[in-house]
Amino acid sequence: MKLELSGIQKSFGEKEVLKGISFSAESGRAFGLLGRNGAGKTTTIRILMDVFGSDGGRVLIDGAPINYAKVKIGYLPEERGLYPKKKIIDQLIYFARLHGMKRQEAEKAIDYWLERLGMMEYRNKKLNTLSKGNQQKIQLVTAIAHDPDIVILDEPFSGLDPVNAMLLKDVVKEEISKGKIVLFSSHQMNYIEEFCDSIAILNGGAIAICGDIHEIKRNYVRDKLVVRSEESEKIAAGLGSCCRKKENGELLIQLEAEDKKRGMMERLTKEFDIDEIKVFEPSLNDIFVEYAKDHSEGEKA
Amino acid sequence: MKQFGTILNFELQNYFKNKLFMGITVFLVAVIAVIMFFPRFTASEEKEGPQSGVSAEGSQGGASGGGSADSEIILLSAGEIENKELLRQAMNAAFPEYEVCLTEDDVDTIKEKVTSEAAAYAFVMDSPTSYTYYVNNLSLYDSNTAVVDEVLEKMYGINALAASGIPVEDAQAALSVGIVHETESLGKNQMQNFFYTYIMIFSLYMVILLYGQMVATGVATEKSSRAMELLVTSAKPTSMMFGKVVASCLAGLIQIVLVFGSAILFYNLNKSYWGDNPIVASIFDMPMDLFVYMLVFFVLGFFIYAFMFGAVGSLASKVEDINTSSMPLVLMFVAAFLVVMFSMQSGDVDSFVMRVCSYVPFTSPMAMFTRIAMSTVPFYEILLSVVVLIAGVVAIGVISAKIYRVGVLLYGTKISPKTLFQAMKKA
Repeated sequence: MKLELSGIQKSFGEKEVLKGISFSAESGRAFGLLGRNGAGKTTTIRILMDVFGSDGGRVLIDGAPINYAKVKIGYLPEERGLYPKKKIIDQLIYFARLHGMKRQEAEKAIDYWLERLGMMEYRNKKLNTLSKGNQQKIQLVTAIAHDPDIVILDEPFSGLDPVNAMLLKDVVKEEISKGKIVLFSSHQMNYIEEFCDSIAILNGGAIAICGDIHEIKRNYVRDKLVVRSEESEKIAAGLGSCCRKKENGELLIQLEAEDKKRGMMERLTKEFDIDEIKVFEPSLNDIFVEYAKDHSEGEKA
Repeated sequence: MKQFGTILNFELQNYFKNKLFMGITVFLVAVIAVIMFFPRFTASEEKEGPQSGVSAEGSQGGASGGGSADSEIILLSAGEIENKELLRQAMNAAFPEYEVCLTEDDVDTIKEKVTSEAAAYAFVMDSPTSYTYYVNNLSLYDSNTAVVDEVLEKMYGINALAASGIPVEDAQAALSVGIVHETESLGKNQMQNFFYTYIMIFSLYMVILLYGQMVATGVATEKSSRAMELLVTSAKPTSMMFGKVVASCLAGLIQIVLVFGSAILFYNLNKSYWGDNPIVASIFDMPMDLFVYMLVFFVLGFFIYAFMFGAVGSLASKVEDINTSSMPLVLMFVAAFLVVMFSMQSGDVDSFVMRVCSYVPFTSPMAMFTRIAMSTVPFYEILLSVVVLIAGVVAIGVISAKIYRVGVLLYGTKISPKTLFQAMKKA
């Protein structure tokens, strides 16, 4: 299955929030939807989920307009919240039934997930008696219990302790391997890098960059080297202004051109005691900062 | 449609699992049970009376009069007036529950006796046609002077006739002739209908305000707890709103049926004990067609207000905002209620204002119902009112659903009417 958004536009009043958003995500792969606060992520997700219509553009599944009666979507909103004073099992069944499940199958699926997430003991408790992290796990059940084709997770890791984060990672990987389209939105780039094959960075309601993470990284000019060495002081002194020391002690060497890599590598390994030498690839964080910086600033630059 | 059913079920469960809702219902039924069984208990007490040595008369007198036999004395200081004894007898007849005593005491002693409650009241005659009335605490409903005025007028008449040669007995008979009359109401009898109309209008008023606020609070709670984030992606806003409103309407109906049903049941169980109480009998003597009208106007009136309350709830960001933002709605409703209540009490339920109100959808549930109950309204007028009301319900339902669609997604920001209107046009 392939989910495709093409040229989505949306305005609220005078304000143009989305200016033609296009990207596509495939089954069995995770897609990262990135962007700063207010870039238009939630609006995009809401249009994708048919909460309101778009002013232009289409949402397609395998090339045809999406049929919301057939394609099931699960959603973990960034603003978490369920009914605080109601029994957990009651509200989980309610949401599963709203997604079209029958009572028995809903109860079965929910019990499976409660067990899987280690939340079975809270089944008949009221939601507000749970800790924040546990409430979040309950909310996760509402997103996946009805076995959706598309799972949208907005900041799924915020507020989770490392053990729970690990548990969630396993669940997400499981969902991906089940052949679902997983749409990730997060500001924690390490998680995006860990799961997502493709990303789209939104900036000011438009796609700043979109595609396979590795390709994006490879498209950067490969004219920098990263060197880790005990003798970094000596190297820096020898190379002069083209060499810069990074915060972690590594050296970043700017080359004149891309094809000078090999020569420089050979020279450094011959002359100095080198622990590690590699071509510099920007991290997702670097890419994000570059593409998601303030729109007006970007234009000035 | 399936979603609507799920939401309706969930919302209805909320009411039945709500301790306050169940508590109020049980409490009301219990209060009605106590009231309805009351005559049975007092009746059985009275039966036991003679056996325990207290005379039935005595216990009744004690219950109704509320005072001891000693204080039930009326002092009459007749001064220089002729026929003192005749006056005393006439007064005794006018105040059968008291003992009227003639006294020669001076005014200060009489006053002291009244303040110390040795005597209930005192009348000090200055002349045959003027007197001073002494009472310790003047009750709001005190009508003793009117009674005494009548007695004195009659005495004066008898004396005057006697003076012109007519025997006292003849004069007395001529002045105290009893008139027999009969009233036959060809339309509605307001005296009989007043109480059940009053009860129905009042329950309509209570239920709409109570459940309307509950709908608004429910929506605002979902918004403030952010459950709305998930809800809007799981269900259509129209299903959500209609599910909520219909659920609260059903809950209200169930509560009304329980309360009124138990009242009817308990009344029938104790019917013989209530016997001739005309007010109670008139309440339970409500014609069936009026009950149907009540259901129609209740459901329609409920919907029109519940929709608006739902829309108001969707515009609030916090539950606390509900009170202020629902104020105009509540005021409108209270105004309609007051108009109807005043018209009912004045007895003129077909006044111009009431006629207008009985066609305006926001007021017609109460106004038209009152007119049907307490006056004779042609069927085409009722039909017209109901049709206008249904059209109003549909229109308000559509508008509210649009407001709701827009409102539920707007957080935090104060929503100006302009942005709301713009967003609604798109929705």
